[in-house]
Amino acid sequence: MGRTGVTAPPALALRRVSRRFGPIEVLHEVDLALRPGSVHALIGENGAGKSTTMKILGGYLEPSEGEVLLQGASAAFASSEAAEAAGVVMIHQEFNLAEQLTVEENVFLGRELRRGPFLDHRTMQARTAELLVRLDCRIDPRSRVSDLSVSDKQMVEIAKALAREARVLIMDEPTAVLTRRETGVLLELIDRLRAEGAAILFTSHKLDEVARIADEVTVLRDGEVVLAQEAAGLTEDRMAVAMVGREMSDLFPPKPAAPSTETVLDVRGMTVPGRVRDASFVLRRGEVLAFAGLVGSGRTELMEGVVGLREATGAVFVGERRLPRGDFGAALDAGLVYLTEDRKQRGLLLDKPLRENLTLLALHRFTRGLIDKRAEDRALDEAIRDFDIRAATRDMAAGHLSGGNQQKLLLAKTMLAEPDIVIIDEPTRGIDIGTKQQIYGIIHSLASAGRAVIVVSSEMQEVIGLAHRVIVMAAGRVAGELEGRDIHEEAIVRLAMGLGRSGEAA
Amino acid sequence: MTATETQARGTRRGMRLDFHVLGPVLALVALIVIGILLNPNFLSYGNITNVLARSAFIGIIAVGMTFVITSGGLDLSVGSMAAFIAGLMILVMNALLPTLGVSVATILAGMATALVAGLVAGAINGLLVTRGRIEAFIVTLGTMGIYRSLVTWLADGGTLSLDFDLRTLYGPVYYGGLLGVAWPIIVFAIVAILGELAMRHTAFGRHCAATGSNEQVARYSAVHVDKVRTATYIMLGVLVGVATIMYVPRLGSASSSTGLLWELEAIAAVIIGGTVLKGGYGRVWGTVVGVLILSLIGNILNLTDVVSPYLNGAIQGVIIILAVVMQRGRAASR
Amino acid sequence: MNFRSHAAIAALALAALPASAQETAVIGVSIPAATHGWAGGMNFHAQEAIDRLEATYEQLDFVLATASDPGKQVNDIEDMVATRNIDALVVLPFESEPLTGPVQGVADQGTWVTVVDRGLSQEGIEDLYVAGDNPGFGRVAGEFFAERMPDGGNIVVLRGIPTTIDNERVEGFQQAIEGSGIEILGMEHGNWNRDDAFTVMQDFLSRYPEIDAVWASDDDMAIGALAAIEQAGRADEMWVLGGAGMKEMIQRVQEGDEMVPANVTYPPAMIATAIELTALNFVSNAPVSGDFIIGSVLVTPENAAQYYFPDSPF
Repeated sequence: MGRTGVTAPPALALRRVSRRFGPIEVLHEVDLALRPGSVHALIGENGAGKSTTMKILGGYLEPSEGEVLLQGASAAFASSEAAEAAGVVMIHQEFNLAEQLTVEENVFLGRELRRGPFLDHRTMQARTAELLVRLDCRIDPRSRVSDLSVSDKQMVEIAKALAREARVLIMDEPTAVLTRRETGVLLELIDRLRAEGAAILFTSHKLDEVARIADEVTVLRDGEVVLAQEAAGLTEDRMAVAMVGREMSDLFPPKPAAPSTETVLDVRGMTVPGRVRDASFVLRRGEVLAFAGLVGSGRTELMEGVVGLREATGAVFVGERRLPRGDFGAALDAGLVYLTEDRKQRGLLLDKPLRENLTLLALHRFTRGLIDKRAEDRALDEAIRDFDIRAATRDMAAGHLSGGNQQKLLLAKTMLAEPDIVIIDEPTRGIDIGTKQQIYGIIHSLASAGRAVIVVSSEMQEVIGLAHRVIVMAAGRVAGELEGRDIHEEAIVRLAMGLGRSGEAA
Repeated sequence: MTATETQARGTRRGMRLDFHVLGPVLALVALIVIGILLNPNFLSYGNITNVLARSAFIGIIAVGMTFVITSGGLDLSVGSMAAFIAGLMILVMNALLPTLGVSVATILAGMATALVAGLVAGAINGLLVTRGRIEAFIVTLGTMGIYRSLVTWLADGGTLSLDFDLRTLYGPVYYGGLLGVAWPIIVFAIVAILGELAMRHTAFGRHCAATGSNEQVARYSAVHVDKVRTATYIMLGVLVGVATIMYVPRLGSASSSTGLLWELEAIAAVIIGGTVLKGGYGRVWGTVVGVLILSLIGNILNLTDVVSPYLNGAIQGVIIILAVVMQRGRAASR
Repeated sequence: MNFRSHAAIAALALAALPASAQETAVIGVSIPAATHGWAGGMNFHAQEAIDRLEATYEQLDFVLATASDPGKQVNDIEDMVATRNIDALVVLPFESEPLTGPVQGVADQGTWVTVVDRGLSQEGIEDLYVAGDNPGFGRVAGEFFAERMPDGGNIVVLRGIPTTIDNERVEGFQQAIEGSGIEILGMEHGNWNRDDAFTVMQDFLSRYPEIDAVWASDDDMAIGALAAIEQAGRADEMWVLGGAGMKEMIQRVQEGDEMVPANVTYPPAMIATAIELTALNFVSNAPVSGDFIIGSVLVTPENAAQYYFPDSPF
């Protein structure tokens, strides 16, 4: 396979590009060059700035400083349409497909072929079929997109890009939703596109894919390029180290004393159809147990299965008691609660006032026939004080709170049920650093008070800073467990990437 | 957003909210004033009793409808259901006549029939919506047609009439009263007060609002969403039974034209009262005000010659649309 | 013309003819569904006439369809023509305008057409027209008021659903009471519905302290009005004249009820007459065509027995 394109002049490049959102700089003087006939891998942790970089390349965002170069000339794309017109096409991770239209209609959406006043269905179908053959994808151009599997949708998205005769292809984690076989087909296709002279940007969390396909690798960390070199001679381990190599800050309180040996939660053989296979683990009193892994590795689904919010098989014991399946109420009665990662869609009633949100989970504690509103008000006073919720007025709608205060309200709501075991999914997603610190303090004090906490987190620092023990999930399975001094970023990343424990390889 | 901005927004919203709370009440007061100005008999004991008593059927049903709509549902079948239950009651009571005679027992049996039939009909709607996962609109559109046909069939295309002597015995349930207040008014008041309590002060009411506001959040807050939904339909069915118990003694008959369009009047009253059609927020006292507004429009038009009776529907329509416009105003301020 | 004698003649004519071995004739009957009392009675009489004729004449075949709206009725008629190849159509149009075109289409194919009660909006389409007399219905009622209230008085009127039928009846009524000193205090639509009539009557009672009599242009409405009057405790002050001959009301006339002194017929059995007369074309050599207007008759305690059909649902 031809890895000769490295020296060719770039088709699309970024030169010293910075990007700010308000006062926060998310990209800092990034240089990146996509050359014809070459695959460029862009890797980094969540939040490192990959998405922003791709959006700037695809014309979705403008750089705050620096410039985008098309064929060596400065080109400020006014929009993604302008970028597409210049042959730069981005394939999104969240599909931009019209679900109710057919494959063919999607592929030609916005640039339908016509014969006179009518659509030329025959030609469009024939071309779509050709494209699908190139992708080795066996779907009918006339099938409706909503009926397709996720991986087929990905293929349609790629076919759509190919139909636009892209010279530069930007692929945002295209293999995240594909099976191994489909990934193989896609990588072969990328090989062929490269051979045809396309310039390709490829992102993936799976470093083996990167090693297999990339000609050049750029590693982003905290919005800066920390490594940029030819792929040849770059090992997967070096990529991982480059991605995570950063000092620990003192965001985290000292870890609470070692947990007791008493098991409070015992999960055996939990399987969530299509998401989690045969996961087992235990949780001890006073322990903070973190679940790490890539987005989509099945952590949330496992936890929802455990508390009964999702259909699952397997056994869950709280102490000696076995929980009935699919009954969140029973889990709650047993002292087990789950705090969703999706606080806007699943956590809070955004149009309801704080009080009604606060007591919704534990409403039975405020009800003796009628709801005791005074007790509710007292509870709100306490919650505002204990959790430091900053609200303009007491009767404002929860949706008007800032993200961090919403998260604290959600925590307060959950704690009102006086749980013994708390599962918190992404406790600090999308909130500022000060609030993060408060939430870490709360988790810490819960464990110190003899409760048990599970933290599901995609933030490496959080996992390392908080947990006594870490379970890493990959592709719906428990990939490994780390304890004490073994908890460090490299080990977690290796497990999450499916590389096995450090020291075993290399 | 800074603290001051938030503060300002909160206050502004608060003022607007007050207007929304008062809107239906102001409309009601305006109608009453117009009524007094147009006809001196408007405030007479007789007229007030008439208006309140005839509001009772729709009113009792609309209280139940408030819960269904608040939890994100809809029930189009209530009018037909009332006609069917009325027909069933009359058949049962006439059939029991040879054994139980013209007695209170016969009437109690008829009442029990109405309540059980309402409960079963409500449960069917509820289970089809929750277990069957069918849109409430479709389910209840279907049952609406079914009950309407059933009553036509039961009556053989004509009118089912309660035995005359039974009617005489049963009549006081509509025409009689306690301390000068007619029974339908008393029952309506009790249902409304209990409904307001349930909506505002019980876990059930809170769960209805949570389910209608965001079903996922409710589920993730350990609310048994399906049970809540089903319960609202059952409650509405039972209340349709109660309304029918009050309706049958009035004319002692049921036909295929009984309860025609009651469902739309009930839904309109609920919406005029400030309950949000797509669910999440309900107000029982608002519904009561809505029912009274709709009744008064008809009453005032009958008491005067100012507006052509042909325009009765148009005036109701304008008021319903105004109510919805006001609702949208509130949604926009969120 | 008196309806009873007319029906008797028709029945006689039919009975007199032997069942001859002609080809089978198919007669389509399209009527509105039983959505109110009068229509229920009309459905009953249609079904009864069909059963009777089918039992008597082997060579007659009937297709009966009931429609809940004009659109459905048009579909019914199209289906009858297309799938049953009918030789005659007896139709009681839901509404005149929408049915005129389709019925004309049927007539143009040479099919015998009998129109009942509601005329089509174009003349000369039908071979046979059988109808009640709506202006007459109002006139007979008005004459009864004039006669019963020689010194004049105050009355209120409950009208039906706003239609031509209702307008004709009310005009006939108003002409008949002209110059009698009777004053109509108020007129509102009770929509031929018991509940609506009850509500309207309640409000009339609140509004007018002195009412001497009520004309409810339909017996369903009369029942609603009577209930409202009884509730108000003003049964002694006024009487109610209904119409159409519902059996309960005829019974009360017969029993000499003070509040229900009389009734005016508008017989739902006219559909049976129409079906019988249409059938004559296929079983006899005496085709019957033209217009048959069935007059409205005043029912009084003296002649009430004649108009009492205990088996009818109406």
